[in-house]
Amino acid sequence: MLYSSQRIAKPYFIAAITLFTIQVLFGLSMGMQYVEISIPLISFDTARLIHISLLIIWILFGFMGAIHYIIPEESERELYYPKQAIQLFWIFLSLVIVTFFAYLLLPYATLAKITGNQFFPTMGREYLEQPTIIKLGIFAILCAFTYNMTMTVLHGRKTVINLLLLTGIAGSTIVFIFAFYNSSNLVIAKYYKWWLIHFWLEGTWELIMEAILAYIIFKITGDREIVEKWLYVMVAVTLTTSILGIGHHYYWIGMPEYWQWIGTIFSIFEMLPFFFMVLFVFNVVNCTKCRSSNRALKLWALSTPIMAFLGAGVLGFLHTLAPVNYYSHGTQITSAHGHLAFYSTYVMIVLTMISYAMPLLRNTVTDKIGQRFEILAFWIMTISMFCMALFTVIAGIMQVYIQRTTDINLPFIEIQNSMNILYWLREISGIIFMFGVIIYIISFFVAEIKKT
Amino acid sequence: MNQDKVTINRSVSEIPDRKMAIIAESLYLLNLLIIPGLAFFILIWLFAKYDNATTMISGCHLRQAFSASIWAGLLLVLVTWVMLSTMNHDSPYTWMIVIPYFVICHSVLVLLGIMGLAKALAGKKFHYPIIGPSS
Repeated sequence: MLYSSQRIAKPYFIAAITLFTIQVLFGLSMGMQYVEISIPLISFDTARLIHISLLIIWILFGFMGAIHYIIPEESERELYYPKQAIQLFWIFLSLVIVTFFAYLLLPYATLAKITGNQFFPTMGREYLEQPTIIKLGIFAILCAFTYNMTMTVLHGRKTVINLLLLTGIAGSTIVFIFAFYNSSNLVIAKYYKWWLIHFWLEGTWELIMEAILAYIIFKITGDREIVEKWLYVMVAVTLTTSILGIGHHYYWIGMPEYWQWIGTIFSIFEMLPFFFMVLFVFNVVNCTKCRSSNRALKLWALSTPIMAFLGAGVLGFLHTLAPVNYYSHGTQITSAHGHLAFYSTYVMIVLTMISYAMPLLRNTVTDKIGQRFEILAFWIMTISMFCMALFTVIAGIMQVYIQRTTDINLPFIEIQNSMNILYWLREISGIIFMFGVIIYIISFFVAEIKKT
Repeated sequence: MNQDKVTINRSVSEIPDRKMAIIAESLYLLNLLIIPGLAFFILIWLFAKYDNATTMISGCHLRQAFSASIWAGLLLVLVTWVMLSTMNHDSPYTWMIVIPYFVICHSVLVLLGIMGLAKALAGKKFHYPIIGPSS
């Protein structure tokens, strides 16, 4: 670690892992309710709300930690406002804690009322459930964060990696403005909601992911030139495919029919960035000599593009084709894609970054025991998440078949009951995943800290 | 450091017949992704024409891609056809087996192809696990 302000990444990573654990716990509680085991005090809708919101928030914490770590090193200088970075962390964490308990303790309608949603209505949309005042807080945090990072880069060295990170965070901040527009017309409201959700997940966040992956591969191999060449290719492909790829969110919501063609064609091409990511990582690793002794890091870095290709690429491609989506829209297939895509792209890239940075931040680089635990955690989490997605896909196929292709008019809940065995298998996979998370956390405590 | 990098890059680009290896792996991927059948016929033609005339690297990739393409065809077309012709089309269980099988099998074959292409780009040999010839 070259710059003292890189240490600011540490609390962000700790918060990210803590929130990740809570998110998985709420996911498990929902899985329990699917198999009709009731959880006292936590209703399904509250658990779902927290599960989804925490997902976005903890990944944001992870990205902020990663960016705080990478930017000073790439810019060859300390952060422009180190104090502001740590203040932002505490403000952001406070907002998250307040929102978390508000979701947990108050009925959503009451929360909307006491936060003045009637005066400036922005609540009630999936992923954008936060009270307006919290959204304003998040926007202010993103603005301050972008400003700090921009000033750091402007006053330091400019590289492809830090400029791409800057593009990613500035883009994320700009599209967050759409969170404040909530039309009374449902079609228009949904249209603009996707300008935020889609452009975060399949646009700006993907750019951040590519930059982090490139940074890690550069650190493993030491060849900046070849990494930057590939980075240009991946960014070009991401931007050309993801912008019109938004069309796959416009099926069946009241938008013109041509979006089905645009959405289908560009969704096919949206696999390409993941294709190139796998090619990039394996090509660079094959062409250069590995410099890192961190086996866990290499495992995370090489597996992330492979899993992203499967989860985000293949599963995404499958059900974003309009003729397929006509049947699969809003079924368990969407849930399977959501789980595997999020895990394989954003969860894995944040954990890859943590795997690289935390040993340096905690002075445990030479530790082998912690790495062994981390590798074990990797396999448990990855295999169980793959199984979870597989069982959910199979449940989704059954759901589509019974609910949408036959003339059997069974009530929704009866169809759900017929998939009970698959929900059990999914829940068991989820419990195993939780074990993986626990082993991952243990890996930090068993790691031997080298005394300096 | 820079000298090492230049040496590695130069040595990769100077590997003889690396192009043929890249073409062979690309045709394997094209056969799976964009132009099934057509890409395979081009691969057959390349294999018939150049198999004995190529260097170690390109010969290895040509043989591996050719063999893997045949296996991919068997696994994706033949096995799926057998499953569909022996199972009841009116049962959801048929589709619960056939669709995940096809998707997983196809994805794994594509991933292996990408790794093969990465090796070809680096001018190194590659062996497809299970579906590639051992020599």
